[in-house]
Parts: sequence; C-alpha cells; structure tokens
Amino acid sequence: MIGLAWTFARRELRGGLKGFWIFILCLALGIGAIAAVGSVRMSLQNGLTSEGATILGGDAEMSFTYRFASDAEREFMARIAERISTTVDFRSMVVHTLPDGTTERGLTQVRGVDDLYPLFGEVVLEPALDLSMALADGGLVADQVLIDRMGLEIGDQVTLGTAQLELRAALVRFPDAAGSGFALGPRSLVSLDSLEGSGLLAPGTLFDSNYRLDLPVSTDLEALKAEALAAFRDTGLRWRDSRNGAPGVSRFVQQMGSFLVLVGLAGLAVGGIGISTAVRAYLESKISVIATLKTLGAETRLIGGIYLLQIGVLAALGISAGLMLGALLPLALEPFIASRLLIPLAIGIYPAPLLEAGFYGILTTLIFTLLPLARTAQIRASALYRETLDLGTKGLSRTAFLIIITLVAVLIAAATWFSGIPILALATAAGILGSLFLLTLSAQAIQWFARRNARVRWVRGLSALRLAFASIGAPGGGATSVVLSLGLGLTVLAAVGQVDANLRRAISQELPQAAPSYFFVDIQNSQLADFLDRVETDPGVTQVEHAPMLRGIITQINGQPARDIAGDHWVLRGDRGVTYSAEPPPNTTLTAGQWWAPDHTNSVEISFAAEEASEMGIGLGDILTVNILGRDIEGEITSLREVDFSSAGIGFILSMSPNALSGAPHTHIATVYAEESAEAGIVRDVTTVAPNITAIRVRDGIALVTEALSGLAAATSYGAGVTLLTGLIVLIGAAAAGERARIFEAAVLKTLGAGRFSILLSFMLRSAFVGVAAGVVAVAAAALAAWGIMTFVMESHYEFAALSAAMIIGGGGLLTVLTGLAFAWRPLSLRPLSTLRDKV
Amino acid sequence: MDPILSIKDVSLSLTGNAGPINILHNISFDVADGEILGLIGPSGSGKSSLLMILGGLERATSGTVLALGQDLTPMDEDALARFRRGNVGVVFQSFHLIPTLTALENVATPLELAGQGDAFDRAEAELVSVGLSARLHHYPAQMSGGEQQRVALARASAPRPRLILADEPTGNLDGQNGVQIMDLLFGLRDKHGATLVLVTHAPELAQRCDRVLSLKDGRLVGNDLKGAVA
Repeated sequence: MIGLAWTFARRELRGGLKGFWIFILCLALGIGAIAAVGSVRMSLQNGLTSEGATILGGDAEMSFTYRFASDAEREFMARIAERISTTVDFRSMVVHTLPDGTTERGLTQVRGVDDLYPLFGEVVLEPALDLSMALADGGLVADQVLIDRMGLEIGDQVTLGTAQLELRAALVRFPDAAGSGFALGPRSLVSLDSLEGSGLLAPGTLFDSNYRLDLPVSTDLEALKAEALAAFRDTGLRWRDSRNGAPGVSRFVQQMGSFLVLVGLAGLAVGGIGISTAVRAYLESKISVIATLKTLGAETRLIGGIYLLQIGVLAALGISAGLMLGALLPLALEPFIASRLLIPLAIGIYPAPLLEAGFYGILTTLIFTLLPLARTAQIRASALYRETLDLGTKGLSRTAFLIIITLVAVLIAAATWFSGIPILALATAAGILGSLFLLTLSAQAIQWFARRNARVRWVRGLSALRLAFASIGAPGGGATSVVLSLGLGLTVLAAVGQVDANLRRAISQELPQAAPSYFFVDIQNSQLADFLDRVETDPGVTQVEHAPMLRGIITQINGQPARDIAGDHWVLRGDRGVTYSAEPPPNTTLTAGQWWAPDHTNSVEISFAAEEASEMGIGLGDILTVNILGRDIEGEITSLREVDFSSAGIGFILSMSPNALSGAPHTHIATVYAEESAEAGIVRDVTTVAPNITAIRVRDGIALVTEALSGLAAATSYGAGVTLLTGLIVLIGAAAAGERARIFEAAVLKTLGAGRFSILLSFMLRSAFVGVAAGVVAVAAAALAAWGIMTFVMESHYEFAALSAAMIIGGGGLLTVLTGLAFAWRPLSLRPLSTLRDKV
Repeated sequence: MDPILSIKDVSLSLTGNAGPINILHNISFDVADGEILGLIGPSGSGKSSLLMILGGLERATSGTVLALGQDLTPMDEDALARFRRGNVGVVFQSFHLIPTLTALENVATPLELAGQGDAFDRAEAELVSVGLSARLHHYPAQMSGGEQQRVALARASAPRPRLILADEPTGNLDGQNGVQIMDLLFGLRDKHGATLVLVTHAPELAQRCDRVLSLKDGRLVGNDLKGAVA
C-alpha cells in the first residue's frame, strides 16, 4: 500500500509547493532557532572542554582559602607537576590620591601572580606590553572599567593596601577569565612580590591561593585528583582540573541553553499552528480529489498515506532548511558571539543539537498535521455531488486522539530529557499547553462577542464596525488562528516583560530600602574598635551590624561525605561564610532548638539556616564537619533559625558556638546603613586608617546583578522574538489565505454602494480588534505566569507592569493592522464587476 | 435471471442546519443485467442521491440495496470503496478529474487501485478508444469540457465494471459533445455488456434508455416512462 500511496503522493507533488511556504517557513524558523541555540550551547561547552586548561589556568588547580600551601602540599605538587604557577585572589580597594590631596577609591578583584602566569594562553594589555614587564617593580594592570571609574591614567600611582603601585596598562583580556568565578569588582593584576608587606595577605584575611599545575601529557587526572584529596583530606584543599575548568560557567551555559531551547519550543508550537492551518487549507482544496479517489475505490488508509507522505516530503524540506539555518547561523555569527563572551567558542557543526531539533520538528509536524489529516477520514465520496467545501469540525476518532496525545507526551518527555532541567521543561510544557488552551477559549469568546455585537442596536449605522464584528463572528472568521499564532508569541514576550519589570523593581526599589549601603570586609580584630567608633558616631549612619567571619567548607554530615547526604546543594559548593557568637544576634528568630549558653564551653554547637537545612534534609542533632583554615571542626546542630538573604544584610548559613572559633585567626564583616551623603566620607576615613579593609558598595553589587538580569532578559526576549516572528508568518499566511474572500466581499460591498474608505476601515477594525484582543489575552496569561514566578520562585511580590502590557497590546494591534493593510490593497483596487464575473 | 441491482424500501434523510431533510421515500425497483435505465425528474427530486446510493457513494437511511449480489447496506466507507473497484464506474456532470494528474494517469488510477499491473497500457487503450490518443499526457485544465468528459468516461469504463452510473453526463456539454458522449456511453453496453443507470434531464438521452423511472419529491412516480418522455 505504501508503494501505491507514494505513487499518488509523488504525482500530486508535481503541482509544486504553492500554498506551502507558510508550512515550510514555520517549520524552518522554529527548528532553525532550536538548532542554532543547541549548536551555540554545544560550541560553548566544547570550547570549555577543549580549552579547559586555558580557562582554568593549568591542567589542574589546587586551591586553599586563607592560606598558602603547606610544605607537604608544595612537595606533592612539585612531584606531580612539570611547572607550578602560584596566584592569589582577593578583593581590595585601589586608592588614588589626586594632586589636591583628595582620594578616589575603587573596589577591585585582585589577582596576584608569579612569573609563570599564565601557564597557558596569553594576557592582552593596552598598550601592548609583556605582562612580566608591566608588573615588574610595583606595576599594576587593571580593567578599563576600573581605570575609567577612577579617572586614572597610565603611569598614575595608586595604593593597594599599603603597597605603592603604578598603573602600567589596561587589562584587555586574560585567558583564565571564564574560570575565575564571579567578581564584585573589576579585575586587576599585580605581581606577588608587590603584595609582600601590603597587609592584604595577613593571617585571617580573606584570600584564596591557587596553584596551577602544568602536568605531563599522559597524566590520569581522575587518579591524581583522588590521590590529592586522599593525601590532604582534612586540609580544605579544593581541586579543579581541565576536564571542567569552569564548572559554574559550564552549568550556566547548559541551563541557559536548555531554557532557550524550551523557549524555542514555544516558537515551534506557534509554527505548528501555521502548519496545521496550511495543511487544513491544502486538504480542503483536495476534498474533491479525495472524494474522487474514494469513488474510484481508494480506502481511507491509502488516502491518509498519500497525504501523510506529501506532508512528510514538505516537512523534510522545512526541517532540512531549519537544520541548515541552525547549523550555519552560529558559523555566521561567530565573530559577534565571540566578542560578547569571555568563554572560548568551538564553533562547528554538531550532530546532537541538530538531531534534537529535527526530532522536535518531526513530532511537531505530526502532532499538528494529524489533526486535519484525521478529518480526511470523514470525507465521503458523496462530497463530489454535495459540494462540501470544508473538512468539518467533527470530533476526532478515538484512535487519532490517542495518537496525538501520545505524540504530545513523547515531545514533552523528549524536551524534559534533552533539557536536563525537568521541572523547568515540564513547567514550560504546561505553560505552552495552558496558553494554547486559554487562547483557544479566548478566540471563541472573541468570536461570540463579535457575533453578538454585530446584531446590537448601537452598531446600526456604524457599517464599518458592524461589518467588522460580523466578519470576526462568522463561521471561519479566522479569529482562532490569529489569536493562537500571535497570542503565544506575545504571551512569552509579555511574560518576559512582566517578570523583568518586577525583578528590576524589586532590585532597584525594594532592595536598596532594606539593604545596607556598604559591606566592610577584612576588618582585623585590632581594627574593629576604631572602625565601630568611626561609623557608630556618624550622624548619617542609621544602623551598623558586625560579626566575626571565617570561611569554611562543610565536608561531612554525620560522618558521611556531605554530598552523599545533601546532593549538589548550593551550600556545599565551595566555601561559605561562618561566624560565631555567644548570644543570638538581635532580631534572630529560632525556628527549632535552643541557642547555646553564653558561657558554653563543651562540645561545638551549630545554629543552621532553617530553610537550607530543610532543603538539605538535615536538622537538630545532626553532626556537621566543617573545614576551616585547614582544620576540621565537628559540631552538632542545636538550633535552626530564619535567615533572610533578600535584604542583603549579614546572613550566615552557619553560626557556631564561640568555643569553636574565637581562638582562630579571623576578621570581621560589617554592614553600615547610612544616608547616601555620608557614604563617601565613611569609606575614605575607614580605608585611609586601615587600607586593608575593603568596602563593597551594595549599589554596585545591585548594578552588577541588574546587568546580569538584563542579559538573561535579552536572551529570553530573542527567543520570544523568534516565537513572535513565527506568529507573524502565520498571521501573514492567514491574511493571504483570506484575501480571496475579502476581494469578493469588497466587490459586493462596492456594488452595494460602499466607499473604499469605509471598506478599508472595516478591514482595519477587524484586524485591530483581533490583534488587540490577542494582546489582552497574552498579557493576562503572562501576568498570571509572572505572578507565579514572583510569588513562588522569587518569593517577592508581583505588581502589574502596565507599560510593558500596553506595549504588548499595542504591538499586537499594530502587527495585525499592518498585516491586514498589506492584504487590503488588492481587494480595494479591483473593479467589482470583473471580480463578480470571474468569482475571483 | 437475477437482477444486477435490487433496492427495496430505500429512504434517505440528511441532517442540515435547519433540521432533518427527507430526500428519498421508500423507493423500490430492480435493474436487470445489461439494462440501460434512465432516472428523470425535476431538480431536487432525489435522482442524484438515488444514483449515489446505487453506487455506494451514499448510504441509505433505511431499506436494502443489493448490487451484484452484495448487500451494500451494512458496508462501511472502506468496504464500499473496495466494492466499487472493478464493479462500479461513475461519470459525473462536472467530470471530477484529478487536476494534478494527466489524462492517462486519471484513467489508470482505478486500475492501479485494483492492483492491475498493466494499468497504464489498458488506460492508454481506453483513451484511444474514446478518441484521445493525442491527449494522453495533457492535464485536465489543458482540455475542453468534452474531452474531459471523455477522459472521465474512459476512467469509468477502463476497469470493465459491470455497472456504470452516470449523473447528467451531458449536462455541462454543448450539443455536439453531448451526442458524442451519449454514443460512447451507450456503446459500453454493446461492447462490454455493462449495465447503465443514468440521471438525465435530456429527453433524447432518456429516449435511448431501455427503461425510464421518474422521481418527484423523493418518491418514485412512474416506472417505464420511456414513452412519456418521447
């Protein structure tokens, strides 16, 4: 039967692709977007893997917090590595004294480097100097942002701690940027020699020492890692190697890529509506052929096969075009992408993302094609003399319904599997299906409203409006395909707008009100009294909080490796701030257990953040092993307390009884809530007296977060843009398909005496009404989604973003009006007699 | 001899937007093998619907339809399609050729559906026999109405069906083309022994039938009215 079906399908395809450009474009665009995102993701991941050593700065890295490597650790590294490059990382303040005696201060993330840095790759400076030359004899190179912010010029003298340095060049690029983690301030590089005696690497101050190892080519990294971790199990050693040089970046790329693929699926769903509409229109044009074939003895299965094969050929064309687009677009955009990212790109053609996109394409085509295709079974041979012109809207057969449901389930399962972020994938699927359902209901409501209003008394005499309502409300009025195609794209875009506006409001308005002005870190014990004296007596200061601060890694829970118990919880990733205090700090709310006695001296007790404890599956009575300064401290959780990170105040996951830590070298952290006018004076006074103290301006941190969020919102908007573009193509297709009816309608109206302006007005009104209605529904759906995200995910509150909503609704109306206008010209320009005589 | 067609108490109701419409009421008659039967009546009398019921293109609401010894009444759409293959040829007033197929492919289609390996040879012979040897590879849109109807006739007769149904086969044609089609149609009985049932408004066509039935408002109002239409 397949042979016969293919014979007939081939003959019909000789008619060409007329009427199928929407089908092919929708498919190509949807698949192209998904394939392109997948290809870029793969390029980034491959770049991260292939350039792992460059990103990390070595084949492997051993790092320590608060200290340099011990002799034993140095001996181990010397034994395994051919070369060792030592660096330190910390935050500090660069101070520049101007000729008039005033000072400029800027927060910077400093990297102290030795002569071997960088082991791999190269540092690019402006002017183009050799790094070792630039850093020799007290040289410093800094990110252009820091130079601009402080108004520095090459050759200026600055201080870092107590070290006097000279700015020699701007830091354009350094190879291990992507693997360097999150920096609150712009980067600067100095030589380790210059930092000696600066007071910035004193015991207890917060710095990381990193030893980058150049290993022999045949080194077994996994075996070496196991050996290092076994040899220095309780020293707080952290190991990274070139197999995953930037785990945070890699995770981000994977998750962001997956998220954008999911956004792309929304585009494919919109494309599916275009596919369904095109197939339905095509099959409706084939009703007499189908009925003729039935008359000649063709069975339903054969006919289904003939058209499925034809659609298969067209789908193959669309999918191939999409895959080519998805494979070639990243190649074409390589310079643009590379210039915007710090991550090395290994652009190429990767089969995996193309296969994934192709698989989605096949499933989407089947889902949206089977709907109209299944209806061909209802075409009877008698259609030939009954002149039945449409496929009808009878319910689908149970088999067809089950097949479609199964395919949708497979598509969702595939998206969930491929994305690696099941909850987000399922939420996206639910969002798309829910939106489609809501939009379908809305389209019906719009049709009902229009039909009803076409007959009410108040529109009599307003012929353009009445005709518009009548046209929208009539059977086959086209509102459904317009609302669905445009609505889904607008919904995604509106949701991005609503969430983005709310996040910005939360960050720019709510957070600064609750947050302190400055964090001061690395306050030595001996400096604390003077520091408090300065800030607490300042009339502009409203509140000061301070706490001792160390950093530690939770290595074990009840004697078991911590990750075996609590998985990959963020608290276990790297080191966390740890404090101690004899009494609960003011405003502490214990949710379980008791705080230790002020004079507690026995075993170590721990107060843990309640929410994180619950997420990690730990609670009162559990024993934690925390590695602090290379020493393992065991303590029992005796209380849980609320920790609110949203206010940006001091919030420690772990607080210990003083007997655990008070003897250890440590510094203090302080938050100062001050009027903006008082801020500069405080920073100047504090850091002048104690140059090792670093002041971190919360507003700068907020700006960084806002910038990062802008990037995320922009990326999501691009995804939504593809969805909207697909929707626009579907919209154009629908308008083109309706042109013949409008030509006839215009001819009849002209015959009845209607002027061209009133006909045009009627066409515009119906376009605007449906477009605005699609926008309103999209905004409603997006507001619901944004409310859910803000309330349950961000744990903030939701406020309707009216400007974004107005733009979406206006945009929806504008798009439909412009599309309608493009297809109104011919109906208006043709003479009625020729139209009616030819019946077009 | 058993009749090739036998219908008993056949009624047809269709449901429209305004409610059910009764098209045919308790029609009964037989058609003998090799007979040429004409169906006449005013527009809307149910002639075409009755013809379609005879070919299994429409299913009767009640009554029985026996064609070539098979009861069509319980058959589903696919069973009816299989029954038509090789047994029934249908000619429509508006030809209903498949526009994307050439004349040859149109004629070969029922033969291919019936699994005939020599479909194209037979189709070509059939087209030659209706005088279209020069039009084998033309598409319907490239042919005149008369030529299209000859292709439709060749398509209906190519599988050598025992029953040919024609719904106003000359309705869309001018006089000369109409006569040509009538000659070809009636020749099918003489050449192949086919039974012919045709719906017509043309008295000269009815006159050439062996027997003529008349319908009015869905009821059989006259049997063997050949003399009446003369």
